[in-house]
Amino acid sequence: MRVTAVMVVALAAAGASMGWSASPRFYPDDPVWADDDRAIDASKVGVIEDTNGYDFLVNTFGEQGERRDVRAMNVNSVDEVPDSSWFTNRIGRRRMTVEEVVNGPDQLTRISLDGWVVSGGKATGVQPGFRMSDPKGQLYQIEVDPPSNPELASGAEIIGTAFYHAIGYHVVEVSLADIDRKALVISEKATIRDPLNGRRRQLRKYDLDSVFDQAARRKDGRYRVIVSRFAPGRPAGNFRYYGTRPDDPNDIVSHEHRRELRAARVFGAWLNHDDSRGINSLDMLETANGKAWVRHYMFDFGSILGSGTVYAQRHRAGNEYLFEQKPGWLTLATLGLYVRPWMRIDYPDVPASIGRLESEAFDPLSWKPEYPNPAFANMRPDDAFWAARIVSRFTNGMIRGIVEKAQYSDPRATDYMTQVLIARRDKVVAAWLNQVCPVIDPSLAVNGTLTFANAAVDAGVATMPDEYSLQWFRFDNATNTRTPAGDPASVRAPSAQAPAGLLASGSFVGVTVSARHAMHAGWARPATFFFRLGSAGWGLVGVER
Amino acid sequence: MIRLAGLTLLISVSSVSSALAQDPDTRADADRQRREEKAREVRSYEPGGLERAMAFAEDKAIFIVDREGFYPKLGSLTTGSGFAYGIGFRDRDLFENKGSFDIWTAGSTRRYWAAEARLTFPELLGRRLLLETWVSRRDYPKENFYGLGPDADRDDRSDYALRTDFFGGRAGFRPISFALVGGGVEYQTPVVGSGRDEGVPNVEDVFEPEDVPGFGDSANFLRTNLFVEIDYRKPKNARQGGWYRFDFANYDDRSAGLYNFNLYDADVRQFFGFLAGRRVVALRLAASTSTTDDGDLMPFYYMRTLGGNDTLRGFREYRFRGPHAILTQAEYRWEIWSGLDAAVFYDAGKVADRRADLNFADLESDYGFGFRFNTDSAIIFRVDAGFGSRDGKHLYIVWGGVF
Repeated sequence: MRVTAVMVVALAAAGASMGWSASPRFYPDDPVWADDDRAIDASKVGVIEDTNGYDFLVNTFGEQGERRDVRAMNVNSVDEVPDSSWFTNRIGRRRMTVEEVVNGPDQLTRISLDGWVVSGGKATGVQPGFRMSDPKGQLYQIEVDPPSNPELASGAEIIGTAFYHAIGYHVVEVSLADIDRKALVISEKATIRDPLNGRRRQLRKYDLDSVFDQAARRKDGRYRVIVSRFAPGRPAGNFRYYGTRPDDPNDIVSHEHRRELRAARVFGAWLNHDDSRGINSLDMLETANGKAWVRHYMFDFGSILGSGTVYAQRHRAGNEYLFEQKPGWLTLATLGLYVRPWMRIDYPDVPASIGRLESEAFDPLSWKPEYPNPAFANMRPDDAFWAARIVSRFTNGMIRGIVEKAQYSDPRATDYMTQVLIARRDKVVAAWLNQVCPVIDPSLAVNGTLTFANAAVDAGVATMPDEYSLQWFRFDNATNTRTPAGDPASVRAPSAQAPAGLLASGSFVGVTVSARHAMHAGWARPATFFFRLGSAGWGLVGVER
Repeated sequence: MIRLAGLTLLISVSSVSSALAQDPDTRADADRQRREEKAREVRSYEPGGLERAMAFAEDKAIFIVDREGFYPKLGSLTTGSGFAYGIGFRDRDLFENKGSFDIWTAGSTRRYWAAEARLTFPELLGRRLLLETWVSRRDYPKENFYGLGPDADRDDRSDYALRTDFFGGRAGFRPISFALVGGGVEYQTPVVGSGRDEGVPNVEDVFEPEDVPGFGDSANFLRTNLFVEIDYRKPKNARQGGWYRFDFANYDDRSAGLYNFNLYDADVRQFFGFLAGRRVVALRLAASTSTTDDGDLMPFYYMRTLGGNDTLRGFREYRFRGPHAILTQAEYRWEIWSGLDAAVFYDAGKVADRRADLNFADLESDYGFGFRFNTDSAIIFRVDAGFGSRDGKHLYIVWGGVF
């Protein structure tokens, strides 16, 4: 009887114990560089399409998602974002040529609309346009620039698409083209949702007239348009910057905790993508090998940089939410004597195709989108550091190349846009590379020599630190426990030696590194690196910032 | 007891074996397990009440209020009419989007009533030509009248009824995009009678007939006019630019022949924006004068009036009336939030019996503050509180802007 009772207790305890500690800190396949979020069939995904008003209200007056100071939940063990249906590592992980960066997602270097037909009206958005189909039936969206600002929205779209693609987001293909209005052929099957009554009807010539009445016309009578290729698959609406889709089994990480969405704030600041919100995203259900899965797109860059799509961007954009209590009440109470700082920004006299964009007053840390974004609100220094490293990899030549792709007719516009984006890049990199200890690329040789680099120093936004402080430790992967090894050490150069005997003590070791720099208090926030012994020696298996 | 222990053992062993089976060996396995768990719980997305309401508002409701075909006619018929509601029918893409037709009828909370049919071609000949024609009836039963001239007394408030049928047309030409030059012709048949506001005495009970020219007589008018309009406001709910209109009209009495007169109106509005256009100083100067031939009279109901939500906001509607009038208005507007401006204002003006008195001496004035809910195109809704006049305080809650 007593024996039985002891067995019961022992087995129950064993079960409980295995339940908690069964998961090691690092799995054999860590670090994972591809998240297989196409694993489960998602063919039952429906359409989740938010409206402007709803998205504004719930994000402005509510608090969507979980606001928590917690590490991004989709990063791999080395603090990077694996490839997924959301993101593909490009410039952040591999060398890209200028040509590759400039080319972006485009399959065609030049697009001709010969033989195309107008196949429908445009369904959403403020930018006037319509749909066309090429001879193979592929659908495209055609959009025009406002008469007051020729080349404004189309330039922003081209530039934004190339940048966001090189960063790693999924974007649709866009191209510039010229349209001869008189040569347009309307398909007999073309329909439009009547702007006056919302009912679908046949598209008529005067519908196109009303589009071109709101379009910038070239001296030769033609119109410059942006041509956006419809993404493959079935539309499933937009994604949100919070929660997960309840109908998508592969969507298991709350969006406000996805690093590429949190850190989109950094890219948004750089490129003034104040329209970073759910309704400017796109979910497409793709099918392959008998399974369906959702690909998530960043969508619609016509209102970034200095563009407000149909006008030069507002002065407020990027500086203040549409509705922000404190400045509003202050303005009211003081009869307008309180002046919001952004009202005093002096925008230079530049070609109308630029709109309203500058770099002098730009402060990356205080940049804001149109209204609160739950993922942006959760962005931590480690998320921002990840993004700033990506931004730092865009060379001046790449930026110039992307801007030239917009084909501004005034060379001053190209020069100005390039110069502003370079200046804003430098500010973004300086602001966010220095908030954490910027030690990167650690390597541990079999002889115990640790070498590393400093992202901020390499990017030219900081000088060498006064010193690096290191503390080595043994690591038990099964129990996730660390045991200090040796005394704390300090070095000036980015190189150090592991304590004698440490590397022989097991298959996991680690080191915590911080730095002291008079200008950058954030460098004292330590970074921790874990190494695992493999057949090729010690390999980096974990990073914490 | 032994059976209980056996059962516990069985459960424990079972849970251990289950845990062992589920423990992933790799990160990929771990993630896949989480996805398989979610796959067992996937459900269609169900939008909440607010989401459904907003979707309805953006996708459908806009086409109810601003709908093509039959639509609800809502708003004001004239200053002081109260809120009006009715029904209309419109077709705004006639002749391949070149013209629009609108017919409506509406009654107000103060029992004002109107009906109108209008056919407009706003942008013919490559946006250079405007053509418009209309036919209408307006029945305003409770129009205030305080007497003519600058000395009208608030205590002399009376009312009259005015019903007018009219039909006409106008044409305008745009030599440049921001200027419209044109003219029109209109036939009007106003009928004036006793007011129907039971709380207010009738005009004829307060004033002698000679103090109210045109009251009691019926006359039909052929009105012909010429106008010039310059509009370079940016945007239309102006942060900068100006709007000017000059109008000359001849009223030809086609019945008794007693009430022939000419009316000259000028209205100049200038807007000065600063601090990114989030502060605006708006100025307005409007003047109106008239002439009659010897022996002719100008009917009181065609004379310009001051007072009310869009002129002298410290006074009641139609508080002052005369053959000549001048009005100045100044507003300082500042944006509180995008879509909401506050304003402080000052109005000054007067009516005059003689043109020689049309100057800036002895102006009636008021000041006040207000709030404007707006878009770039227009002020949607406005609250203005007027103070500082000899008539006390006035609060106006109105659809639309002031100038």
